[in-house]
Amino acid sequence: MNDDELITVLREQRGKVVMTTPVEQIISRGRSVRARHRVPGVAAGVGAAAAAAVAVGVAFPAGHPAVRPPSASESASPPSVRLEAWTVTRQAGGSIKVTFRQATDPAGLQQTLRADGVPVSVTFTGEQNTACQPYHVTASQAFWPYGSRPGPLDGSGFINHPERAYTTPYAFVIDPSALPSGAGLQIWTSGTPGAADNFQLHVTLVKTSPQCTGSAGS
Amino acid sequence: MRSRQPDFAEFYRAAKDECLFAVLMSVGDRDTAQDLVAEAFARAWASWPTVSAHPAPAAWVVRTALNAGVSRWRRRRREVPVPDLAIIADRPAADAAGGGVDPLVMAALSRLPERQRQVVALRLFLDLDTERTARVLGIAPGTVQAHLGRAMASLRSELIPIWQEESRQ
Repeated sequence: MNDDELITVLREQRGKVVMTTPVEQIISRGRSVRARHRVPGVAAGVGAAAAAAVAVGVAFPAGHPAVRPPSASESASPPSVRLEAWTVTRQAGGSIKVTFRQATDPAGLQQTLRADGVPVSVTFTGEQNTACQPYHVTASQAFWPYGSRPGPLDGSGFINHPERAYTTPYAFVIDPSALPSGAGLQIWTSGTPGAADNFQLHVTLVKTSPQCTGSAGS
Repeated sequence: MRSRQPDFAEFYRAAKDECLFAVLMSVGDRDTAQDLVAEAFARAWASWPTVSAHPAPAAWVVRTALNAGVSRWRRRRREVPVPDLAIIADRPAADAAGGGVDPLVMAALSRLPERQRQVVALRLFLDLDTERTARVLGIAPGTVQAHLGRAMASLRSELIPIWQEESRQ
């Protein structure tokens, strides 16, 4: 047997192996890989300004995926739920659950929330919307992100399971009817994508205005 | 962006089996190979604009999978299990581990040094020419030929006597 015959025998083995992993699974994993390169994770944290505009900082667990909403072409094949950057779900009683996975498509999130009756400004540029003015609240009006205290954000809750970082998103619930008169929300990000422990999602109470929340001011 | 998935899906369907085979021949275990190849394809998807412009995207996947295998091995700080020829030949599960590949071939390939296995994978199983194999591995074309020559000599000395013996029986 010469080298050519040996090579032929070796190459004959190729047809005996079949890769069984579905392409959808590969792409799903690819999104996580890409997200991991773009958005770092950090530990959870909360910031609230007492008797002032209330801000909630949500940090991302290490390795948490940042994935954009599926494009139209990708939607043609049934994607996993986790492929979406965020989802907005209207719940019984009129509250709205926002499940957040990645800071992409702020205009889409803003449009979706406004369509559900939430006066809101969404920016993922690392900067707040300069057109937005803080909405000062009294202590009794301040929402409470963790417990059962009623408020515009009932906080039912901020979910953080680092051990399932690729499958468990953050979620928070907005009750539009509980927003103080003339108050809306500003959702924005801060920090440095790519730098660990330094990337946060904020939800802030702001005064409604056409330039900020797309709704008339009080 | 919207063309990423159809293009990638087509590439995946066309190249997945040969990539898996090339990696399997190097790592010697079907499940490990499939994990590594899946991860490599996922990375290819994540960098698809770049990988699709690569002169040999399948080779990129194989190289990435093999590098991931080395990294995994270093993290675990233990030896990559290399099937013993005598043991694997008698082991009923050998076919399952190799996904239907001749266990003797797998065992012989597993005995080759890592670089020789990589050259065999790219040159023989992905059908890359010497120049392209050299570029993918970052070595000189002459080094590719030297590694391939040594690998073929080892495979010849190991496999041919066994096959000849089997043919006499």
